[in-house]
Amino acid sequence: MMPRFKSILSRIIFLHILVIGITAIVLPSAIYLLLNATATNLQNQTLRNHADIISQYLSLTPEGRWNLELPADLLALYAHGYNGFALSVADDSGKTLFSSLADHSQIFPSDTHAAEPVYFTSSYLHEARDAPIYYGVSIPEHRDGHTAWIQIAQNLEHPDVIVDDIVAAFLFRIGWIVIPILFLLFAIDIVIVRRAIRPIVNASKSAQAIEPSRLESRLPTSNMPSEILPLVDAINNALDRLEKGFRIQRDFTADAAHELRTPLTLLRTRIDTLPDRKIAGELRSDIEGMSRLVHQLLQIAELESFTVDPDELIDLQNIASGVVGFMAPLALAQDKNIALMGVEAPVWIRGNSDAVFQAIRNVVENAIRHTAPGTTVEVEIGKRGSVRILDRGSGIPEKDHELIFRRFWRRDRRRSGSTGLGLAIVSRIIEAHAGTITVQNRPEGGAAFVLNFNLSRESKGSV
Amino acid sequence: MLRFGNECAMRLLIVEDNEELAKLLSEGLVAAGFAADVVGNVGDAHQVLTTKHYSAVVLDLGLPDEDGAAVLRALRLRENPIPVLVLTARSGVYDRVAGLRDGADDYLVKPFAFEELVARIQALLRRPGHLLARLLRVGNIAFDTEARQVFLDDKPQIFQAREIAVLEILMRRSGRVVPKQLVEDQLFGLSSNAGSNAVEVYVHRLRKQLTDAGANVQIHTIRGVGYLIKEANS
Repeated sequence: MMPRFKSILSRIIFLHILVIGITAIVLPSAIYLLLNATATNLQNQTLRNHADIISQYLSLTPEGRWNLELPADLLALYAHGYNGFALSVADDSGKTLFSSLADHSQIFPSDTHAAEPVYFTSSYLHEARDAPIYYGVSIPEHRDGHTAWIQIAQNLEHPDVIVDDIVAAFLFRIGWIVIPILFLLFAIDIVIVRRAIRPIVNASKSAQAIEPSRLESRLPTSNMPSEILPLVDAINNALDRLEKGFRIQRDFTADAAHELRTPLTLLRTRIDTLPDRKIAGELRSDIEGMSRLVHQLLQIAELESFTVDPDELIDLQNIASGVVGFMAPLALAQDKNIALMGVEAPVWIRGNSDAVFQAIRNVVENAIRHTAPGTTVEVEIGKRGSVRILDRGSGIPEKDHELIFRRFWRRDRRRSGSTGLGLAIVSRIIEAHAGTITVQNRPEGGAAFVLNFNLSRESKGSV
Repeated sequence: MLRFGNECAMRLLIVEDNEELAKLLSEGLVAAGFAADVVGNVGDAHQVLTTKHYSAVVLDLGLPDEDGAAVLRALRLRENPIPVLVLTARSGVYDRVAGLRDGADDYLVKPFAFEELVARIQALLRRPGHLLARLLRVGNIAFDTEARQVFLDDKPQIFQAREIAVLEILMRRSGRVVPKQLVEDQLFGLSSNAGSNAVEVYVHRLRKQLTDAGANVQIHTIRGVGYLIKEANS
């Protein structure tokens, strides 16, 4: 089974090495076998040519006796026994007519005398001559119902015999040529594949930059291989639909905001310009509650599709200072106060300034509502991107620590002035910022909310 | 008795497409001492603003023909510094920054309190170069910005120049927090380097003087942020 590779490149490399391995074995072997066959053929041809020449000097007497009369030059060729060529001739009765061997024996055992030419190597020969490697042939010569066998052998180790040496050397040399070529091909292939998948790598980089806040970007289709193009097109189409969905959601909240707020504004202005101040005052507090609820519901709806631009850097200290300034009149109207503490230098975090303002504002508003008259709500900035909001109220029972961030959750449902959405909005904003929010009761009384944001990379280094 | 002589001359342009609301706003603002014209779309607003002079514009962003922000951009493009107060039904995180970036001087999210609208318009008109800046009032304290004179229950008071400077900047933004840095800049300018607690010293003196004179205003310290002057809670 093929191992599972995560990268196309490593998969190609693996398969390529496999193919190279097989080719490196199969190709030289095939060539060697082919060459060997050709060499054997050549040797057979040589031996047969010898036999043909010998047969010219072989004659049959009218009595049916074989007679061999070799000229001197041919006798000299076979004179040295197995040093080069050896020759023996036998008749039907198995009698040796001629032998170049010292013991005047036949090269080829008579029991293997056949009607067709038989090729043999040294294993068929006499044990005494087993040291060098011989290759020979036994060719029958038929004349007038009589047969003689011309047997010719060649010592393959004789310096004059080079064909088998060439074949043996070839196998060694072919490796030096074929294997580097295969590896060169392999290297070229890697380059080709890398070039081919470069558009995909580029597309992946573009895909990484796509954020819900930057949905208008698309994957590049230029230079994209046609095999991958359908995938890229499909992703781009999905992004189109996603962007449309987000836009519809945002447009809807914007439209809903307008449609809901216009009648409220009308009502509010009518009440504010009413001559009867007593009735106006009562109606006003009703419509304020209603407006608040509508405002927070719209925020909740809007936050459904809210995302933080990862490049936006904001100064947490400055925003918290703005919140404290903004909320101070509310606190003072209730004989309470508010103070900004902690770091006075800018604390750069990644986030959306309006959303962070809103989150801190809601927690501060909650703290002002619960802190005892005459006390101060403290907003403390930490240099690691935290905001602690401390009040002097009655604190929050341990069992409610999770519940307070739920939508429409209120400890005291009879109490007006709270919609139960403020902290749910905070929780969602913090979530969108990948931050955390925790709540504790202070030993000296009251609650402590801690909002943690993510420092920008630059300020992380300096802390 | 001090009176504003020119208050009735302030003419406002209300750009609001909801006729009912436009009528209510116009009536209310007239009752508050302004004169007001109403137009219902961006096209009319462009036309009226090029031909007539207004002290300030109350601009609704949700208009039928175009986004109300177009009016603002056109004004700023012509380098017309007329104060613009934007009314918007969108309070979302996506809209607020964009609205102010386009050059609005202030904005109110619908629904708003009518008194708040009047107060914001007055604040815009009080900016340098506008006549409403002459007399500031908080509780029983009044301050004539031209004569640089403090009145308590309409009786002139003698204050030191530095205390008067602090009082003025606080009264210009009464009910709102004035950043400490702003008070410091007002007192000493950007060049001179005053001691870090110099502002606190002057605020402390001013506070004592006001209390001694029987003023029913209070200067609150918002630690870490600044100061706020308001009528004392009764």
